[in-house]
Amino acid sequence: MGYGDVEMIDANGIRKDGRKAGDVRPISIELGVVPVADGSCRMRWGTNDVIAAIYGPMEAHPRKIQRQDRAVLDVRYNMAPFSTSDRIRPGFNRRSREISKVTAEALESVVMLELYPRSKIRVEIEIICAEAGTRCVGLTAASVALAHAGIPMTDLVVSVASGKINDVVVCDLNKAEDNYGEADLPMGVLPNTGELVFLQMDGDLSPEEFQEAWDYNMNAAMVIHEYCVEALKTGRYPQ
Amino acid sequence: MSIPLVPQLLRSHLRELAQNDQRLDSRTQFEGRDVEIEVGILANAEGSARVRMGDTIVLAGVKFQTMTPYPDRPNEGGLMCMAEVRPVSGRQHEAGPPSAESIELSRVVDRGIRESGCIDTSDLCIIPGEKAWQVILDLFAVSDDGNLFDAFALAGITALRNATIPQEKFELGEDRPLVVSKTPIMCSYQRVGGRFIFDANGREELGGDERIHITLGDDNHVHSLQKGLKGAFTAAEFTELMEEARKKGDELRNMVHALEGGN
Amino acid sequence: MKGVLVARLDNMTEKKNAAGPQDKQRVTRLVAPGEDLGNLEGHELGHGVIAIDGRIRATKNGRMNVNGNTVSIEPRRTAYVPRPGDLVIGYVEGCTNNIWFVDIGAPFNAILPMSLGPSKADFGGTRSVIDIGEAILCRVQEVEETHSSVVTMKGMGLRKIRSGAVENIDPHLLGRLIGKQGKALRELKEESECRVIVGDNGRLWIDGDFNGTLEVRNRLRSLTAEAKAVTLGGVA
Repeated sequence: MGYGDVEMIDANGIRKDGRKAGDVRPISIELGVVPVADGSCRMRWGTNDVIAAIYGPMEAHPRKIQRQDRAVLDVRYNMAPFSTSDRIRPGFNRRSREISKVTAEALESVVMLELYPRSKIRVEIEIICAEAGTRCVGLTAASVALAHAGIPMTDLVVSVASGKINDVVVCDLNKAEDNYGEADLPMGVLPNTGELVFLQMDGDLSPEEFQEAWDYNMNAAMVIHEYCVEALKTGRYPQ
Repeated sequence: MSIPLVPQLLRSHLRELAQNDQRLDSRTQFEGRDVEIEVGILANAEGSARVRMGDTIVLAGVKFQTMTPYPDRPNEGGLMCMAEVRPVSGRQHEAGPPSAESIELSRVVDRGIRESGCIDTSDLCIIPGEKAWQVILDLFAVSDDGNLFDAFALAGITALRNATIPQEKFELGEDRPLVVSKTPIMCSYQRVGGRFIFDANGREELGGDERIHITLGDDNHVHSLQKGLKGAFTAAEFTELMEEARKKGDELRNMVHALEGGN
Repeated sequence: MKGVLVARLDNMTEKKNAAGPQDKQRVTRLVAPGEDLGNLEGHELGHGVIAIDGRIRATKNGRMNVNGNTVSIEPRRTAYVPRPGDLVIGYVEGCTNNIWFVDIGAPFNAILPMSLGPSKADFGGTRSVIDIGEAILCRVQEVEETHSSVVTMKGMGLRKIRSGAVENIDPHLLGRLIGKQGKALRELKEESECRVIVGDNGRLWIDGDFNGTLEVRNRLRSLTAEAKAVTLGGVA
C-alpha cells in the first residue's frame, strides 16, 4: 500500500474531516461518570470515547509493590472489546501494558505521591470507542479524574499527538491519518511550565517538521488545558 | 482485598429494616431503582446499549465476525456472550483473571438470552457448511452498585434488538437488521435481612444472602433460572418471586420495545 | 518536582477550617490543580496549596478560600489520613493471636493490640473478644511516619458497636455536619431522635429507630449533594 498515494489533505490545506492543519478534533468532558469511584472523567475527543476512574489512596497490595517512601500509581489502560472496528479479544495485551507503564510514569511526575507512603492509587483508563490518539485521551482524562478525586497534584497533564500526512505536518491525527500518515508524535505537557512528562514518536520527520509538530502539540495542549479546567470547575465542558 | 469485608453491623441493620418492611434507600420490597436505557451509543459496534439503574451503569456492544459452522450444524451461525467486570467498575474489583463471580455472571446472562431462542442461528448462515455469522455480545461494567445481572441482561437484549449485520463491510450484500424474535428479561432477587427483595443495591448485595435469577420471555415462558450464593428458599417464596418477575418483566420489556419505534 | 512543601496538605479535620469562614472576609473562586494563586509573600499556606518559586499554586480542585492571609482550598473530596487523638469507627478485618487489624477508612489498616483492647483475653482468644466484621469505636493513639496507626479502646465511651447503622461522609464535610459549636449536629440529633456519634474518619454511628436513621441519612445525602453543587456547579 503506497501510503503517499492516499490523499489526506487537499491543495487548500483542508483535511478529509474538514479540519485545517492546526485544528484539534471536537472535545467534550464530563465528570463523575463512574459514581462509585473516588473520581472519574469521561472524555470524548473526535469519535474517541474514554473513561478514567480513580480509586484510592488505599493499602498497596500485594506487598511487593509497596514503596516505603511514597504511594504507587497502579495504572491500567485497556481497550474494550467493542471499541474498535475489529473486535478485540479480552485478555493480556502487550500494547496496553506498554501504554499503562508510560502513562503511569507521566502521572507520577505530577501526583504528590510522597504524601501517601506505602499506599497505592488506582487509575483505570478504559477506551470505550477508539479513533486514534487513545493514549493521549487516556492520559488527559486520567489527570482530570485524579483532580476530581481530590488527589493532590502540582499540575494537570494534557496530551495530544501531531504527525505528518502527505508531507504536511498536522495537529491531532484522526484514525485514517494515523494509519496512512508518515509520522506520529504524541506528547504529554504540564501546562504551567511547558515541561514534558510523556513523549513518544514513530515515523519520519525532518528537524523542521519535528519542530512544527512539537509546536502544534504545545499550542493545542494549552487550549485543551482550558477545557479541562472549565470541566473541573463546573462538572463538564462544554456547558 | 478481593473478598469484601461484610460488617456484621450492616447485616443486623438490614435485618431490622427488613422486619419493618424498609430498605436502606426507602424503596419497597419489590421496587426497582429508576432505569435509563440508551441505544446506539458505541460508534464502532454494530449494536449497542447503555443501561443505568441507580449508580450501576453498564454497556453492551454487539460485534459480528464470520465463522466456519460446526460440522454437526452446517447451516447455523453462533452467539457468544461475554461479560467483563473490570477494576474500573468498583473498589472491590481488583485486576486479574475473571473471578468465579464474573464467569457466573457471563454464563447466566448468556443462558437467559440464548435459551429464549430469540436469535435464530440458521438466519445467520451465509454459505452452508462454509461460512456463517457469529454474533458476539460483550457486556462491560462501568460502575457497580449492585445487581449487575439484571443490568447486563437488559443492556444485552436491547443491544441485540438494535443490531445491524454489517454485510456491506464484509462484501456479502446490504446491511440488514439482526432478527431478534423475543425479548427475554432477567429479574434478580436477593435475600436481604431475611426476606427476598428486588434489585439489590451495592450495600444490600454486600450484606445479603442467596440470590435467584429468573429470565422470562414475552409469553411468560421460563427461559433460565439460577440460584447463587449460600442459603435456602421455600416453594412459596419462589412462587411469589415468579409472579413479581412476570410483572416487572412486562414493564421492562415495554421499555425495550419503546426504544425501537415500531419493531 | 521543584516545589517545596510548607504546610500539611493531607487532612481536614480541623473543624473550624473545614466549616469555612462564615464571618471573615471570604474570597471564593473555583480552582483546578496547577492554577497559580498569586504571590507567596505576605500569605500563609493552608490546605491544598503549595509554594513554588515564590508563587502559590493550587494542588487540589475546589473552592479557594482566603481567610485573613491564609490561602487554602476546600476540596471536592479528601481521603482520610489519621492523626493522634482522632475518634474513629473501624471494622475489624482480621486478627492474629494478640492483635486486631482494623479498617478505619485510611490508606492502611490500623492495629489494635490486645493490651489496648476492651478487655483481657487469653493469648489466641482475640476473636472471642472482638470478632472479624465487628464495628468498634476507638481512638487513634499514635501514627507512624508511614501513616499506619495504632488505635486504642481504652478510654471513655470507647466500645464495640452492637446496634444501629454506620454511614459514611467525606471527612472534609464533617465541619458542616457538626456546625458552629456543634449546633447543626445537636439539631439533627433532636429532630431525628437518634444518638449520633461522629468519627473523624468520616464514619457516623447512628442509633435510633429507622425513621430517625433515615432522616440522618438524608441529611448526609443532601450535605454531599450541596457540596458537589457548590464546588462543581451541580454535577457529580
